[in-house]
Amino acid sequence: MVEEALTNEGHQVTCRLQSPASLNEMVARHQPDVVIIDMDSPDRDTLDSMAVLNRENPRPVVFFADQHDPDTMQAALKSGVSAYVVDGLVPGRVKAIIEVAIARFDSFQSMRQELDKARNQLAERKRIERAKGLLMKHQSCDEEQAYRMLRKIAMDRGQRIADVAESVIDILERLEIGS
Amino acid sequence: MTTLQDAELGRLTLGFVPLLDAALPIIAREGGFFDAVGLEVMLSRESAWSTLRDKVAAGLLDGAQMLAPLPLAMSLGLGRAPCDTLAPITLSRNGNTIVLSRSLSERAGVALGDEPADSARALGAYLAAHPETRPRLGMVYPFSCQHYQLRRWLALGGLDPDQDVELSVLPPPRMVEAMQAGEIDGCCVGEPWGSLAVARELGTLAATGVQLWPDHPEKVLGVTRSWARRYPATLQRLIAALLDASRWLAADPEHLHQAREWLSLPPYLDRSVDHLSLLSLGTPPIAQRLFGDDVLRPDPTAAGHFAEHIDQHMRRHGRRLDHATLSECYSPVHFDEVAHQPSAAPR
Repeated sequence: MVEEALTNEGHQVTCRLQSPASLNEMVARHQPDVVIIDMDSPDRDTLDSMAVLNRENPRPVVFFADQHDPDTMQAALKSGVSAYVVDGLVPGRVKAIIEVAIARFDSFQSMRQELDKARNQLAERKRIERAKGLLMKHQSCDEEQAYRMLRKIAMDRGQRIADVAESVIDILERLEIGS
Repeated sequence: MTTLQDAELGRLTLGFVPLLDAALPIIAREGGFFDAVGLEVMLSRESAWSTLRDKVAAGLLDGAQMLAPLPLAMSLGLGRAPCDTLAPITLSRNGNTIVLSRSLSERAGVALGDEPADSARALGAYLAAHPETRPRLGMVYPFSCQHYQLRRWLALGGLDPDQDVELSVLPPPRMVEAMQAGEIDGCCVGEPWGSLAVARELGTLAATGVQLWPDHPEKVLGVTRSWARRYPATLQRLIAALLDASRWLAADPEHLHQAREWLSLPPYLDRSVDHLSLLSLGTPPIAQRLFGDDVLRPDPTAAGHFAEHIDQHMRRHGRRLDHATLSECYSPVHFDEVAHQPSAAPR
């Protein structure tokens, strides 16, 4: 997604790494202007240190986004992207690249959050179904009554139905194991 | 009676990297020492030192467990834009180990129990006889005691850290798997990762930090100077809670078991402490120290070893370490305000 956006903006993506093992080597081979990396990647330390440790490359500049622009830096950190300029590139151009990357990361993040939310809702629905099933068995009632029971407990306790369902499952399943 | 001022902040987030010396913040949270001073503290596990550093500098974390040299490096603008950072309390001393992979230690004839100078000389002799071999050694961050202790140890064997070996930076939790995968031939890392590599029979202990730099500060709490100025009472309470956690840990050997249980919770160190039956603090050869008011009190003179390395680094780039920055970074002023107060925690 980031790659597509960068290409559309007229940048060229020279290398994409899935695994960090060859990070040093790949940077040396492809000589990129900028390396973009997920903020929470454990490999950030390796990349971050190249500029300090690497003596063969005497003029490596490491930018964290544009460090003189705290707003861009905060935005980058929050969206989960960091970028390194491996060799002296005009800061203005870096900023443009970073902004594209941030925008794409942001939309990716919100998609991911949507997906997580959908997954949670599905899991909650399953949990409620399971709690209803247990209640029907233990209280010999029908589905409608089981649901009303859950809703009443939830209202009395000021909890969400899904949370009540969880504690109902907890209690009734333990009873089943016990019996 | 406590005379601590009311905290400006009720809730805060501290960063940590999964290491034994994240113990004090973890104990302070799990044991209720933060609660006792009215702070609700979230602990955020960070996957890399550079990420933790940037989040503290940008204000996304209120503070963090930091490598002892990191506040100084941040203040001096080494590795990133300058950001004045303070180390108001030390979180640990010692705890680093230099571990060589089983293959390299067998070939070089390095055995458990060797003195650091002996193991270093054995490696030196082996590399002199096999000039085609250039071992790759992992360490955790350029401005770290792990890096500097590794250099010190290599020098004992007559080795040039920049020529005879290849230094590679990896975050601590990746060190053991990297050794297992053959990506590195050795490393200098904090606990529990060094003893874990040994327990899994992946490597041999060649030296420990305490043998090289006895009782040297290893981790500190790091906060930016601007944060400390904005939230002075919160900082006092933070220090008080960490100090209370350390005093609790020192009070009863049984507390070491309890602390180990907390550390092994999944959000913290999880299964990486499985090989430790209890926290054997203060005992050789690793002799990690997490309590004692004198152990936790920051002190610019105790920072001498790494300050010298940082000065050398700066001189290569035409700068010099100024002692005003060093003294401010590791000033005990905030610690002393709190340490002599009666404890805020219930006994």
